[in-house]
Amino acid sequence: MKLYVYCLAAKIGALAAPVIGISGAAVDLVDVEDFSLLVSEFDGDSAPAVTRENVLAHDAVVRSVLNESTPLPFRFGTVQAEPQLRSYITTHKKALEAKLDAVRGCVEMSVKIISNNTDLDTTAEPAEQGPGVTFLKEKQRELLGSERRVQEAKQVAAWLEEQVGSFARQEEISLCPTEKLIVAAAHLIVREQVTKYRDRLASARNLRPELHFLVSGPWPPYTFSNIELEFKTRFGVS
Amino acid sequence: MTSPFDQVLIQSDVEQLEQADLSLLETLDHVLNRGLVIAGEITIAVADIDLIFLGLNVLLSSVETANEVLRKRE
Amino acid sequence: MELSPETPPTVEPEIETSHVEEFVEQLSCVTNSLPSRINIDAQSVEQGLAKLVLTLIEFIRRLLEKQAVRRMEGGDLSPEQIEELGLALMKLEAKLQELKEQFGLADEDLNLDLGPVGRLI
Repeated sequence: MKLYVYCLAAKIGALAAPVIGISGAAVDLVDVEDFSLLVSEFDGDSAPAVTRENVLAHDAVVRSVLNESTPLPFRFGTVQAEPQLRSYITTHKKALEAKLDAVRGCVEMSVKIISNNTDLDTTAEPAEQGPGVTFLKEKQRELLGSERRVQEAKQVAAWLEEQVGSFARQEEISLCPTEKLIVAAAHLIVREQVTKYRDRLASARNLRPELHFLVSGPWPPYTFSNIELEFKTRFGVS
Repeated sequence: MTSPFDQVLIQSDVEQLEQADLSLLETLDHVLNRGLVIAGEITIAVADIDLIFLGLNVLLSSVETANEVLRKRE
Repeated sequence: MELSPETPPTVEPEIETSHVEEFVEQLSCVTNSLPSRINIDAQSVEQGLAKLVLTLIEFIRRLLEKQAVRRMEGGDLSPEQIEELGLALMKLEAKLQELKEQFGLADEDLNLDLGPVGRLI
């Protein structure tokens, strides 16, 4: 029998109220070292289905302990046999404790910014140019375009930092995750500061009417939980 | 036979999502792309029997080497 | 226990934006990534392996393109060499497109989820 793992928290006595997890399974509390893990029994060889119900259930289970303590959420779909799970926790005990410390009393807020700034380079191409050269010039233009977008993204990220950076205990910023989405920021905010953070964001948005904002939260600290973050790097030629 | 560190998210299951509204998409972005990850390896199985276990470090160094090689040729 | 009197009870995440459709469009690719386990069984041998191989080729192809542009900008290639290089890369791009179609793979299918490190492409 495998376990579906939702989150890890500092030791909790018992669940405040019964919680239902993915695929309608009941959620249990399992104690490992000085931690409590929220799990449910998971049957079968196939993966947990990524359905609306399961996704929302996963998040709801993680949230259910937010009142008592700030948990470290596991990624959706984490299934382990109990011995392997225990071994993982014991092996990484120190790192997990450090992470729990880092997120204590906080929640995650998310800011995503879209920019529709598409300035196309319309310099005329020289008349005689082979198809090979045209191809490479087009790729060059794309690269330059994406370099320009990266510049814009860096500038917007720096501006965002100026505006609300002081509220965040930690932050994770992604530049240009997609074509129009130039900044995706996650901020770890002490709970009592969330209102001030929101207010400051609201006024900041008015300063940049050309940008489109999405603010969501509060979330459990998904972005600030992973203990293997030191591997984080980007592939590709810089 | 599945390995103990199986992280299996089958892409086809994702198609069961009907109307991905913004709230669901945001939730997905958090629960699917972030959170504690127990293992980041890639397993290649044939007929359900795990054969090749691409450790994360192995893949990382292959890419680094590729970058090195390309840079040196300039 | 860190319950603070000011802590609001657990609440649904609030999403706040004036541009719902735009963000829905941009966030829709959040579900694009290969499983971290590629099962090649009797039914899907070709597809499973093809996805892996084509993803790696695509990754290298993009590196090659970037390098080619660098060298073109570097000024040490003759016009004929640039033309040859461009033609070869053009054919490579077309060939890869052909292979994708042959295996019924879309652009979004070619990616590798490396867990905490993110996606390959």
